[in-house]
Amino acid sequence: MTGIVDAEGVTKGYGEVLGLNGFSATFPPGITGLVGPNGAGKSTFFRLLAGQLRVDAGTLTLLGHPAWGQGEFRRRVGYCPENAALFDWMSGEDFVTTLLRVDGFPRAEARERAGRAIATVGLTEDRLRRLRTYSKGMRQRIKLAQCIAHEPDLILLDEPLNGVDPVGRATLSELLRKLKADGHHIIVSSHVLYEIERLTEQIVMISNGRVIAQGDIHRIRDLIDARPHVIEIDCPNPRDLARYIGAWDHIASIEFSGERRLRVLTRSPEALYSALPELVIARGVSVTALRSVDDNLDAVFRYLSEGAR
Amino acid sequence: MTGELSRLVSVASLSLRGSLRGPRLIGLAAFALVPTLIVAAIASAHPAPRALSNAAEGLFASLTVPIVVMVIVLVLSVGQFRNEIDAETLVYLTDRSVSRVVIVLGKFLGALVASLALILPAALLPLAVASLAGGPAYAAKVPVVLATSALLAAAAYGGFFLLLGLVSRSALLIGLLYGFLWEELLPLLPGDVPRLTVNFYLRDLLARELTTGPLSGYPAPYSIPVGLAVIVFLTLLFLAMGSASLRYLETSPEREAA
Repeated sequence: MTGIVDAEGVTKGYGEVLGLNGFSATFPPGITGLVGPNGAGKSTFFRLLAGQLRVDAGTLTLLGHPAWGQGEFRRRVGYCPENAALFDWMSGEDFVTTLLRVDGFPRAEARERAGRAIATVGLTEDRLRRLRTYSKGMRQRIKLAQCIAHEPDLILLDEPLNGVDPVGRATLSELLRKLKADGHHIIVSSHVLYEIERLTEQIVMISNGRVIAQGDIHRIRDLIDARPHVIEIDCPNPRDLARYIGAWDHIASIEFSGERRLRVLTRSPEALYSALPELVIARGVSVTALRSVDDNLDAVFRYLSEGAR
Repeated sequence: MTGELSRLVSVASLSLRGSLRGPRLIGLAAFALVPTLIVAAIASAHPAPRALSNAAEGLFASLTVPIVVMVIVLVLSVGQFRNEIDAETLVYLTDRSVSRVVIVLGKFLGALVASLALILPAALLPLAVASLAGGPAYAAKVPVVLATSALLAAAAYGGFFLLLGLVSRSALLIGLLYGFLWEELLPLLPGDVPRLTVNFYLRDLLARELTTGPLSGYPAPYSIPVGLAVIVFLTLLFLAMGSASLRYLETSPEREAA
């Protein structure tokens, strides 16, 4: 494996509870989304990467170094934890500068870098305020500032958009795209799938401590095409249409959804998409709208999670 | 300043600033004034000058070190790791390139300086009050010996409490039991048992250095270098154990809960 982060059979337990259970994934350069519901093991994975926890079994490396360990390579990694508090008695500027000093930067350079990182996350005007007065969104942004201030190669973001208002989300998303464009590698987690979908097409899906799918989101969509897929068809005469398509062998069920809508469960959406126009032409039935109900990442995740159980 | 030294100073500064703030600082500062207030109260009764100076000096061994120093060092040292593990702020240090040995040493130094800022007045102000109230002047070495003893006590206890805060969720309770049972009751037992306490070596040093006055009556079987060496050795031992613990311990709240 040659990813930015490589996990091979990583298992981590808390007493009798397994946080990760044979987690294997390769995180390539660029932005990779770690997607899974709450309790899936995302934060455990980040804590392992941050050196807070040690793997019980398996191997976990980041930038070619074992995740459990100190050393200069940590300067190449930035970590933005989800739940960690802040030193509330500090100002935002003091917080970022102090952590840079701890990382070994000279005072003047630490101040300069802190100012730049704080400007990047849009907190320059609030940099001298005590952290205890920051809103949740501002706290997330100052955590991000301390994470990027030393310009790490790899940025680890555990649920950075959690609790951030819509404007803040848009700003943070834009910032992550800019960081990627600047050459940083980013692993970002979320339990809200559309957030990740907007950031990257490269995802690792996790459920119950295991990887249930990884790779390009479109490839993952291909994985589920064999599974029943819900498609809604709007038409003036649903009963006629149901009579024709009900004979196709890939149709699992048909449901009338309102007076002018069919809800079709198919095992091959591609077959339905190609056959429906021929039916319209050959039989003269009218179709006014066609949409895949399962066309978002949530549906993909739901399918794969159920399959992994 | 070299890289590691600069990092050490940064961690110590962070710990010091985090320690000396808020209502806790006010509470501890008020507590540190208790020996001074007691001497002031005694002085207000106009005792014989020698009795007043003896009272001020005697309080150092009977109240200042075993209670005031113990509590202040306990509160300031235990929280260095315990509070940060619970709040998960420790990760801001441990996920950086700074070594964990430097983190432990920096936190120790930060807590030590914070403790000294409170316990040195607790040790020396009673002497000043006794002198101002008409007591005989102390020999010049008395305040020096008391300040040195307070420093050694803060270092040894601080190292131990820092370690406790790192490895135990019940560090405060264990620290109190250690301070008020182990350190106070064991010296009352016969034989060599008292030698298992830091207090024994502190009193040994006091008795060796102050040949007159109330602090000269403690058993002093060891020479000053031996007493000093034991306390310094214990401090370094606790720091080494703390460094080893932080190197191998997982510092996530979930891990500890499990």
